[in-house]
Amino acid sequence: MNRYFFYNFILVSFINLMLYVPHILIQLRYSGAVSSMLVGIVIGSILVYMYSSALARYPEKGLPEILKLHCPKWLVSISMVFFAAMWWFATTIVVVAGAILINRFFNPDANVTLLLAMLVLACGYAATRSTLSVMFIVEIGLIVNAPIIMFVMFKAVRSPQLNWDAIRVVANYVTKMPTLTSVAAATFIFTGYINLSIFNRLFPPNFRFKFRWIYPLFGIMILFITFFVPIGFHGTEGVNQYIYIWSLTADSMLMQYGFIERILFLFLIVYLNLTLVYTMSGWHQAMELIKSCFRNSKPEIDSPKTLISNYVIVGIFASLTILYHMLTNEKINMYITSFWLVFRMFIEILTVIWVFVLSRRRSTAA
Amino acid sequence: MNERIRLLFAEAVDIKLSTLQNSEMTIEIAFIAPLCEVNKINDFIIVPFSKAENSFQNQLDTNPDYKIIEDVAKWQELLLRGNVLIEADEIIYSFNVSRIISIENPQTQVESAIQGPQLALSEDVFISLNLIRSMYPSPDLSVEEHSIGSLSKTPVFALFDQRRVDPTVLDNVRTKLTTINVEMLHAAGELEKLLIGRRKHLFPTVLITERPDRITKALSRGKIIILLKGNMFAIILPAIFFDFMHAVEDDYDAYWMTRFLIFLRYASIILTITLPALYISVVSYNPELFRVQLAFSIAGSRSAVPYPSFVEVFIMLFMIETLIEASIRLPRYIGSTATTVGGLILGQAAQQAGLVSSIMIIVTSVVAISNFVIPVNTLSFAVRFLKYPLIGVAIFFGITGVAVGMFIYITYLCNLRSFGKPYMRIFGKLRPLEGDIGQVNTE
Repeated sequence: MNRYFFYNFILVSFINLMLYVPHILIQLRYSGAVSSMLVGIVIGSILVYMYSSALARYPEKGLPEILKLHCPKWLVSISMVFFAAMWWFATTIVVVAGAILINRFFNPDANVTLLLAMLVLACGYAATRSTLSVMFIVEIGLIVNAPIIMFVMFKAVRSPQLNWDAIRVVANYVTKMPTLTSVAAATFIFTGYINLSIFNRLFPPNFRFKFRWIYPLFGIMILFITFFVPIGFHGTEGVNQYIYIWSLTADSMLMQYGFIERILFLFLIVYLNLTLVYTMSGWHQAMELIKSCFRNSKPEIDSPKTLISNYVIVGIFASLTILYHMLTNEKINMYITSFWLVFRMFIEILTVIWVFVLSRRRSTAA
Repeated sequence: MNERIRLLFAEAVDIKLSTLQNSEMTIEIAFIAPLCEVNKINDFIIVPFSKAENSFQNQLDTNPDYKIIEDVAKWQELLLRGNVLIEADEIIYSFNVSRIISIENPQTQVESAIQGPQLALSEDVFISLNLIRSMYPSPDLSVEEHSIGSLSKTPVFALFDQRRVDPTVLDNVRTKLTTINVEMLHAAGELEKLLIGRRKHLFPTVLITERPDRITKALSRGKIIILLKGNMFAIILPAIFFDFMHAVEDDYDAYWMTRFLIFLRYASIILTITLPALYISVVSYNPELFRVQLAFSIAGSRSAVPYPSFVEVFIMLFMIETLIEASIRLPRYIGSTATTVGGLILGQAAQQAGLVSSIMIIVTSVVAISNFVIPVNTLSFAVRFLKYPLIGVAIFFGITGVAVGMFIYITYLCNLRSFGKPYMRIFGKLRPLEGDIGQVNTE
């Protein structure tokens, strides 16, 4: 049962590559990225602990239901729409970056908008399914793809081309003060817990969160690999020249005996799958959050019929995503993303504290 | 009584109506001769009545097999089900003498197992029930009878273990069985469609089987079995995807070998779905995906082929599908000829004529063979279809399209429900105390 929480956590921590997290960190590698990562790990772990222990007091309930118990309805509705927008934005960045990545490395002659439309349609279909189905799809997606990512990471760390000196040089900048942007980027690795806001509805009353020490450890591992391995491959200066830094890092490796020789292709297919799964999960949650604002909404985890409102809401998300892609370019997208990461960190800290305080107040009152 | 029966039925010579008389009393009997066991009528009615050693009225009163019928409306149905109607002293009795023609205890044919029971269900539902009852001797086994079909009035039996069955599924099935509205029902496949209730479905969500061991195992897992009169197949429900990938022998053979076989099945199901689409995307979009030597040999084998890869794929798939279809439908003796001729054409001539590349021939045969590895036929049919949409997206989007297509298939499968149970999900270790995901009160 705890694995269902773990899936959400690793999904988000893997997807950080699509949100330009390594690029943002590497840009600031001489000016505070390393110490920010340490701070980010602490903040992230604390948030995981706080949020999971707060939600453990409300089994079978999602974030909207919990807030509705304690707060006035208008406040809940406003914050739900706001959260939904945040979720939509995260997935939009990921799926747009995914489409561009495929266009860059896989189908250079394809039309990006067309590719994006296909991805968006697939994710839209998947996001309108019931919460339970979405959870199962996340599970299967991760069980298929996570071993391959682990394999790529293992291969990268064990590669003889990895220059440990470069890594040591950058690690020595740990004394520089942390910066806000890089702390925000580092905490993103840990932000999988926020997916519980909807998926907590699925957990039965006797469910207990266990093995919570795994989350910080896993997050530290992913974060360090994400940041240091590209530096080891491309050198302290060369690493700053690439935006899709991890695709190029993956392309630096070869599988000598595999009949797919370049790891890049493996990496791209796997990340395409993860992008689809992440976008589906994000849109589904945003959709559920918006649905909770309707007057006679009832949280349903496995309704036999797909409601029309599902299609309408996700349809709006999908068209907004395509619109976003048409109005922005990669440069603006990157710029917005780094702002969004900072903004997201504050919102999440606020949310976690809000729910945590509510849950404590409830237990003292009872 | 006999006059009224004559009015109830159309003119038919095989309805026997007669009046018997002995020293004690006069009775009228009526039956439809071809449906009845004439020996039984003689032994139980005519001989004891005419010998008159014991009082026949006494026999009617004591033997519970003679049932008193009060409702005239039931006469027709009883006669059509092979009963004799007896009128004695203004009281109507019915007596079941029905004669069912069926294959006695046939061997398993559709799902054969090398070890394990060789006996299949019978077309006589009582023999099937006997098999199941003797393999599942539990007092909790509950048997319900329903009748489906306004014209065929097919008796349908629902079996379940009353302690282990999931009550919500049972309710669901009961309401389905009582609300089905058709004229004729003869085959388990027909009932499957009616039970699912969806007009367009791709994946089977109930399992049709002829093996009693599969049935008893399903019973012990709390599933519901539906038996049909005159049909040697039973329906198991709810069924999930993994049931269809499971051969009964997996439980009988050595552990590691069966794990390997299961792995083989999943690998081949993935191959059979994706291989044609991957061929198109590798040849037409990303030849650099494979290592150089392999890419060259694929390109070299295609050098004689004058048109794009998808035309080639369509030609070969058309040939192989027609070949499979032909060898299934043809009589057994001609069937082998068809496969030989077809195999020759596919193997050599097509490639030498420059119609297709030699790699494509390998792809085609891998697709066909790995499709036959799936143990249950209905799933194998569903999977046979799955490659075509993927080919469609591969033509336009290459490998990206294949990946997205697979994602959509997984979504579709995860979204399916078999009588409220998730059709595809990964089962992990489950602590009953903690409960399963999604087991929450939804008021």
